[in-house]
Amino acid sequence: MGQFAQFAINGLMSGAIYALIAVGIVSVYKATKVVNFAHGYLIMFGAYFYYTFAVIVPGQPWAPEWLASWQPDWMVEMKGDLGMFSPLGAVLDWLANLPRILLGLLGAVLANAVVGRIIERTLMRPLMGQSVFAMIMVTVGLISIMSGGAQLIWTADADFVPHIAPNTPIRFELFGTMIFLFGADLVNMVIALLLFGGIVAFVRFTKGGIAIRATAEDQSTAYSMGISVPQVFRRAWVLASVTGAIAGAILATRNGISPSLGLFGFSVLAIVLMGGLDSYVGVFIAAMTVGVLEAMTQWQLGGNWAEIVPYVAVLVVLIWRPHGLMGQKEVERI
Amino acid sequence: MINGNLKSNYAADERVLNNRYKQVFVYGMALLLAVFGALANDYLILIASKMGLLLIAVVGINILTGYTGLVSLGHAAFVAIGAYAVTIFQNVTAGIIPDGIMIFFAVPFAVFLAAAIGVIVGLPSLRVKGLYLAVATLAANFIVIFLIEQDVFARWTGGMVGLTTNAPSLFGWVLDTKREMFGLIAVVGFVTLLAAQNLIRTRIGRAFIAIRDRDYSAEILGISLLRYKLTSFSISAAYCGLSGALFAYFYARILPEQFELDLSLELVAALIVGGMGRTMGPVFGVIIIVMVPEVIKITFGAITGDAAGMAQLRAPLQEIAFGVLLVVFLLKEPLGINQIVDRMLRAANRWPFARG
Repeated sequence: MGQFAQFAINGLMSGAIYALIAVGIVSVYKATKVVNFAHGYLIMFGAYFYYTFAVIVPGQPWAPEWLASWQPDWMVEMKGDLGMFSPLGAVLDWLANLPRILLGLLGAVLANAVVGRIIERTLMRPLMGQSVFAMIMVTVGLISIMSGGAQLIWTADADFVPHIAPNTPIRFELFGTMIFLFGADLVNMVIALLLFGGIVAFVRFTKGGIAIRATAEDQSTAYSMGISVPQVFRRAWVLASVTGAIAGAILATRNGISPSLGLFGFSVLAIVLMGGLDSYVGVFIAAMTVGVLEAMTQWQLGGNWAEIVPYVAVLVVLIWRPHGLMGQKEVERI
Repeated sequence: MINGNLKSNYAADERVLNNRYKQVFVYGMALLLAVFGALANDYLILIASKMGLLLIAVVGINILTGYTGLVSLGHAAFVAIGAYAVTIFQNVTAGIIPDGIMIFFAVPFAVFLAAAIGVIVGLPSLRVKGLYLAVATLAANFIVIFLIEQDVFARWTGGMVGLTTNAPSLFGWVLDTKREMFGLIAVVGFVTLLAAQNLIRTRIGRAFIAIRDRDYSAEILGISLLRYKLTSFSISAAYCGLSGALFAYFYARILPEQFELDLSLELVAALIVGGMGRTMGPVFGVIIIVMVPEVIKITFGAITGDAAGMAQLRAPLQEIAFGVLLVVFLLKEPLGINQIVDRMLRAANRWPFARG
């Protein structure tokens, strides 16, 4: 039972990150009716931007020293009389990295927002009103462009980046077994959940969010009601790339950066379809379910079986419910 | 303008090549291929064989996506099934079936297996459409490749390290050079192209087109969606299986990673670039999709002189070129090269009068 709880918690933590990635796909779909197959590569760009601003820039000779490693006197003093592996030590290590982590996150969010805008303006806007097939295939073409582009800019070597939160180990007892977690994973989960909740609230309650929902309902009616549909498109893409940048930074701290980060997008796409393309709630449930199922598969069958869990799950759900768990059923007229 | 196209009996009207232009074009192309196979150097033969292998698979995708309107991003799985089925069949039955006629059992086995699995993968197409189907087939691709890589089946599939394949033998004539294989690929490719052209003139083909144009209307007209969607899936999977079987014969070794998502996307990209739902579309598309990376390789080599540091820029550039090709065609010429060729032929035909 204790082991079950351990794996369930691990699953929920990765499920939260899936949900954060999925929110980008859902937002773009809701506003523009385009399913972004290249979202995984947008995340990869976010991860690489985080790497650029948190590792490459502070490492430059012209960068101020406090950026690479912030060491005020009081911190050195506190560190001096600490033993090995103390939780406070981990927090202090994190504090030393804090300036470059903040710069990394800020840079990643801004740079990725620019990338999202460029994609929307140059590739998606000209296709407004075209067939869905053409739009999907454009995002498929975007996969190659982005993955080639990332290799061209950053080379294909894998590397590591600083954690976003202090990485202290946390131990506590549940059902008679010790549960073991990393602080950074827990903070990542909280960040992911807060962002997810924030975006759902934004779409639900703010003026811009209502514009997105109106456009999702009927584009031409939204237009005639005075909603600027191109602006809605732009907002949705920027939203997707900003959440993607943070998700990318989180993924980069977990797995290191490499061009294979883009493949995450495909399993998340499966999760999104499983939950229903236009339902935040359904996607959240699907993401958490897949996260837990993956952790359970890892526990029972071994690590490499976990990678096909989202795909098997989406096939089962699609045959049972063609529009996903909570997706809106499309009514077709002939 | 086609004139003098008078027919005096039904047999003439029902021919696949029902006018002189088509006859001249097809026979001329056959002759050209024969001359090419005899005269071209080894490099050109290799490139042409690659095109032929891809062409057979793209013709299959064309039946599914171009004519039936079902999107699949997972057809590399069927190429994998064809390639693995033919090799495993040959390894298992070696000694039971004589080598000289092995190819006549192994290839049909691979094709039927691919078609059967095609029916299974096609099952979601009855429930879901468009995008959902694209993701369902994509999932199927991941699952098939994953199963091939598993240790459980490694006795047959070789797991991650792949399989060494056999050279085919036609009644004792072992096709062990690339030029001989090119002959086989060219003949099979030609036949599959004509077979596909013939298919869409039949009742089945017309049903496919009706489903593409509006599936509910087709159902109201009495076309069984269950039957024809699954037929379409199995035919296209069979074509891909055939392509895979020849792929296994052509290369000395097959690896699971050759059949991943990249190949599926390449197949669909070739179809879009060439022109969907047209017989010649796959031909144009395959030529472009195979030639562009080669041209980049050659020009890149000429500019940089094969400097070691620059060589690693080549693969990303080829990848970008592939994506740009797909995007530009979708934005500027959604009907593909076939449309451009049509326009040029029309202009030539009407010259010096109306253009375009």
